[in-house]
Amino acid sequence: MLDSTDTPHIVFDRITKSFGATEVVPPLDLTINKGEFIVLVGPSGCGKTTTLRMLAGLESVTTGAVHIAGRDLTHARPGERDCAMVFQNYALYPHMSVRENIGYAMKVHGTPKEEIDARVGEAAALLGLEPYLDRKPRNLSGGQRQRVAIGRALVRHPQVFLFDEPLSNLDAKLRVEMRTEIKLLQKRLGTTAVYVTHDQVEAMTMADRVVVMRAGVIEQVDAPIRLYEEPANRFVANFIGSPAMNFFEVATRDGAAWLDGQRLPLSPETFARIGARDRVTLGIRPEHMDGGDAPAPLTLRCDTLEPLGAHTLVLGHVGEEKVVAQVEPRFPAEPGQECTVQIDMSKAHFFDIDSEARL
Amino acid sequence: MSHSPQPDRVKYAFILPAFLLVLTITLFPLIYALVVSFQTIRIVPPIPPRFVGFDNYTEILGSARFWGSIQVTAVIVFISVALQYVLGFALALTLHHNVPGASLYRVSFLLPMFLAPVSVALIARMLFHPVLGPVNEFFTLFGLENLPFLTSPSFAIATLITVEVWQWTPFVVLLMLAGLQGLPSEVFEAARVDNISTWRRFRDLTFPMLLPLSVAVVFIRLIEGFKIIDTVFVLTGGGPGTSTETLTLFAYNEGFKKFNIGMTSALSFLFLIVVILFGTLYLAAAQRMIRRYQ
Repeated sequence: MLDSTDTPHIVFDRITKSFGATEVVPPLDLTINKGEFIVLVGPSGCGKTTTLRMLAGLESVTTGAVHIAGRDLTHARPGERDCAMVFQNYALYPHMSVRENIGYAMKVHGTPKEEIDARVGEAAALLGLEPYLDRKPRNLSGGQRQRVAIGRALVRHPQVFLFDEPLSNLDAKLRVEMRTEIKLLQKRLGTTAVYVTHDQVEAMTMADRVVVMRAGVIEQVDAPIRLYEEPANRFVANFIGSPAMNFFEVATRDGAAWLDGQRLPLSPETFARIGARDRVTLGIRPEHMDGGDAPAPLTLRCDTLEPLGAHTLVLGHVGEEKVVAQVEPRFPAEPGQECTVQIDMSKAHFFDIDSEARL
Repeated sequence: MSHSPQPDRVKYAFILPAFLLVLTITLFPLIYALVVSFQTIRIVPPIPPRFVGFDNYTEILGSARFWGSIQVTAVIVFISVALQYVLGFALALTLHHNVPGASLYRVSFLLPMFLAPVSVALIARMLFHPVLGPVNEFFTLFGLENLPFLTSPSFAIATLITVEVWQWTPFVVLLMLAGLQGLPSEVFEAARVDNISTWRRFRDLTFPMLLPLSVAVVFIRLIEGFKIIDTVFVLTGGGPGTSTETLTLFAYNEGFKKFNIGMTSALSFLFLIVVILFGTLYLAAAQRMIRRYQ
């Protein structure tokens, strides 16, 4: 496995993108290191694909600069950037066989035939495409097509891989398989990769670092586990993790948080950090509501149960607010009845009620 | 329960109306014309029809005028359709890449197609007038005065081709533009990222991906082109002599100048055979080309 070094490879220097008067990406700064697997994630329309396309040169940069390997490529044609891109709907050449698709760019650039054959064969072996080399894309399944698209990208030995939601047209099972394959492939080749997705699970499982975006703004850039454990704000906390984090409006006083008249004790350090407040957002993940280091009982009204086998989800209410708790399968709860879960207060997050920033 | 076909005849009664309709509307005139083509019928002066077998056909096939008209038609059609396709595709590519003012061009390029061929021919007749026309004035600038645009056989054919190209290139533009806009943009973006030049993108991607459409467009223009009559009728009347007489004009002259209906019918069937022949040859060649790419 190739470790990512800390040399900056791709630098976005305050780039912006406007369509007419609409600014879709306000000034954005991001540095990506050599060999790193970066995932841009966010809801639809957050500017992640636009950012990727600006890196590829398919979209012009309104202001700011893009550097790849120390060269200013802000206004360079897509072909001059030595990137290879995998598109959401594969973008294979429909009239060419798999072999021709993968080898086409090399053929145009005058690579000797023996080398093309060798590299196509190598990629086909790596991606399990050998039996299909003479088929046309229309005679392939979605997963096979996507592997062809990946093969086409990797035979070029580019400086940077760009992935634009490559797995979103595949079924769930294939998606899980392919994301592992892509990640292993990238680690083996050690090529810098920028990957766009709206699927937070994909982002968490694949990335060295995840870039969470909202409305063109980067909300947080961090390793997946830090994103989960220390979300920078309520948006990131809500976006990362499944089922999503529960949020309650609570008051803090007397060393505890007060939710719907119930006392949830805080550690002295936590209370000291937050202080006494009339209104503050308490965030707790469903998986942290079944005991732990600092359990605090919380009584809620159970609406329904969702047994998933390994654990059960209790969907209910505390006062007016909805709550989802992940508990052990035999947890004693009945729909329509009250039940008590144990919140692990050491895993609780607090956010400012107005700025939504982490406290 | 048995699923064998129902033995009762009622089902035929339900099909019969549609069958009769098709028969009377499409097949009857065709069969009637075929019957007539084996007879001698003159409307003026009216004489009773007389069965003459293949006489009409042998007479036509033996006439130099018929073979001349086939040659004239073929020359006009093949050259003009080739030019229409090349020009039309080029214009469609230009318009597709959104040159400034593309929408204005898009409308103005399509206008000639909406004009009646007769009026186009009338305008062309003025334009190509050997003494008074602006085309003459243009060539006079280069010292080429009073060129016989409509009175010398080769000039007349060139003029007819020019008019055909002017009028029908927009049709090619329209369809090829629609085809271009239907192509998946990501495929071309992928090629751009892979540093494929504009020319190679056209040669290796755009052209093969639009080949089936191109075949259809050219086929439509060929079939339509073979029917050319109005432009020729107005511009040259088939002259000088019969040097620009096309198949349909020849049939028209037989039918409406000599009122020889039997002969005209036979000519129409020969025309049909010619078109089917050229059409089949063309499609066979096109099929082969498409298969190479798909």
